[in-house]
Amino acid sequence: MADFNIRSDSVNVEQIMEQIRARIREKRGVDYTEQQISELAAVKMEKFLDARGVRSDLLEEFRRMRPPVDAPVRPNYVFDETTLFDTHRAPIRWIRRLLQPILKLFFNPNPLIQALHIQSQLNTMQAQAEAEQLARGPARDQLTFEVMHNLVLEATRMGIEVKNLKMRVESLSSRLEFNERRARVLESAVVYKAPEQPADRGFQQPAAPARSDFESRQSEPRPQADYRPRPEPVQERRAPSAPPAAAPAGAQPGAPEGPGQRSRRRRRRRGRRGGASAASVMGAGPVPGGSASVQADGHSGTPHESDHEAEPSPSDDLPDAADFTPGGPGDPEPDDAQ
Amino acid sequence: MKLAIVVQRYGLAINGGAELHARYIAEHLARHADVEVLTTCATDYVTWRNELAPGVETVNGVSVRRFRVKHQRDPRLFGKLSDRVFGERHSLADELDWLDAEGPTSPALIEYLGKHGGAYDYCLFFSYRYYHAYHGARAVPSRAILVPTAERDAAVGLHMFHPVFRGVRALMYNSHEERAMIQAVSGNEHVPGIVVGVGSDVPQNPQAARFRQKHNIRGPFAIYVGRIDQNKGCPELFDFFQRYAKEPTGRLSLVLVGHSLLPIPQHPRIRHLGFLEDADKFDGMAAADLLLMPSYFESLSMVALEAWALGKPVLANAKCEVLKGQCVRSNAGLYYERYAEFAETLHAIEHNRWLSGSLGRNGRQYFQNNYDWRVIERKYLDMLAQLQANPARHTMDPLPGRAERRRDDLAAAQDVLDRLPGSSGQDRRRA
Repeated sequence: MADFNIRSDSVNVEQIMEQIRARIREKRGVDYTEQQISELAAVKMEKFLDARGVRSDLLEEFRRMRPPVDAPVRPNYVFDETTLFDTHRAPIRWIRRLLQPILKLFFNPNPLIQALHIQSQLNTMQAQAEAEQLARGPARDQLTFEVMHNLVLEATRMGIEVKNLKMRVESLSSRLEFNERRARVLESAVVYKAPEQPADRGFQQPAAPARSDFESRQSEPRPQADYRPRPEPVQERRAPSAPPAAAPAGAQPGAPEGPGQRSRRRRRRRGRRGGASAASVMGAGPVPGGSASVQADGHSGTPHESDHEAEPSPSDDLPDAADFTPGGPGDPEPDDAQ
Repeated sequence: MKLAIVVQRYGLAINGGAELHARYIAEHLARHADVEVLTTCATDYVTWRNELAPGVETVNGVSVRRFRVKHQRDPRLFGKLSDRVFGERHSLADELDWLDAEGPTSPALIEYLGKHGGAYDYCLFFSYRYYHAYHGARAVPSRAILVPTAERDAAVGLHMFHPVFRGVRALMYNSHEERAMIQAVSGNEHVPGIVVGVGSDVPQNPQAARFRQKHNIRGPFAIYVGRIDQNKGCPELFDFFQRYAKEPTGRLSLVLVGHSLLPIPQHPRIRHLGFLEDADKFDGMAAADLLLMPSYFESLSMVALEAWALGKPVLANAKCEVLKGQCVRSNAGLYYERYAEFAETLHAIEHNRWLSGSLGRNGRQYFQNNYDWRVIERKYLDMLAQLQANPARHTMDPLPGRAERRRDDLAAAQDVLDRLPGSSGQDRRRA
């Protein structure tokens, strides 16, 4: 967090803010504000709605399409047991009531009266329900609009997040791929280990009294990091019996070697004396010429080593591999100083 | 030279920004001139209730003459009129009604100015948006010097104020942004004006350890000083800080100093200490790693200046043009618009000691160069001398007639504000 790259002694707040914003973009991808998300969502909504010939102002559109209407006045009637015989003329009403028993001799009007009465009640209930539904209409439209609006916003936000996550997954994949490659390189150092060449022993110092690795590292100066351009990595995998790749200029046989190289060789030999070489265990045949091997993925494991000695055993190289960090995880090759 | 300082409230216990500003200016100008303060009997800026006795008293060696407020504010009426003048087409009469509803309505003060204004060489009116400044400046236009303390809120878009901005003798601005806004809204470039601001009496040796011991505060913390209010951006601050506190690298706590009008979130890293005396407040600022200024509306943040005087960096809300401008000009503070920037800037100040130290040093230098009392006093005295040397060449437009005042032909104040240069559409009306 604190690694702002300000080289001047004086502070320029605008410059710092630019760096902070760049850092935010790096860390979080494109960081949209709420307003920007709304704008993006509105654009998508317009596109979506244009296909249906509807404008983006959904709520207004809903209102326009469904203008507020009053509850329709549906015809209804009141029907009870006297309705059939009712009239505003009192004498006629009296006569009908008088003749009602005679009428009932011909047919029974009661079921008819009951059916019409029930129908009247049903009509009333239906009208009330429609009126309530109409009254709730605008509120429901509002809620529908809000739900749609929120859905579109969330969908946009999710889209952006998915895009950012995809970028992160890609980044992680590439890192993982690199780590796998590096692991393969280290593993192949065991598989393609060249046998020891007796001639090489002529370069070696007599075995020193046994010292721990730490002591030897402490007592001998570490070789300086070599920042010269590195040789192009070999593109295809070579068989163990193939002739060796051209060694770099600094790695010609007989070229002077640094104290670090000598100490590494000593360490390796010490390790080998403890038992059979890893190559013989794995069944690898001798390599003609004793060349440094070219490794599986086209990366030369130790391209700068000048000696034609056997490849280092894993026990020698693995601690060194941990020192690759100067280049960081994105560094495709181990550091020369290793 | 006899000067009148006219302000809505005045007193040692009143710590509002403009009121404190007025008191500091009165006390410092009293060393160079005969100063009298004209104010009201109110102490509460919401109700404007008469709480102090009318008449003359002396406060810190300055004569203060108080006048009664005619009526208290009716919040319902004020809210209704605010909705009208800020959001709808309206008339000048509506704006005058709004001003009357806002208060502190003190016709006695205006009457006094009308009768005795000639006794003063100049009258300095603080806060353009209140009754006393509008009517007072109209009562004595040839002697009126306005200290507008204007913020980027809708009130500046009200049409009634524009003739006042054009008609006073001079304006003492708090910031370059304030001057640009007022000139854009009223076209008063011909009126003499200068960016002055205000100084602050910051103690030489604030005791950070004393503050930590007294309030049992350990570890690094950011401090907020001021009213804890919606308008000050505190809800956003709480939201951002709680999100920041969830991040594993953030170690700062938040200490809040001031009266709260909002519920404070219950969070183990948020402490509210309430209102503190000045000495305690300065101790707290000295103990803090930085000052947070989340406010959307500021004409000049005195707290930010005090933090800079103490060599502390400021993290301000970039939505407030004035605060952002001050941070950029001073190179003494960072600013944020959204959470990502808030978190990154806070981390930067927290973890980069070189950066926070440099910001603090710049702040101290900025304060000394621009807000030291000697600089402030010199600017005021120079302006008064300039006005005395040059007679007024402009006058204030009279109020239109009764019929014209009733004409509904004025645009909504919010629309006027939105049309100003630099408006981002996020300028909001004060609650």
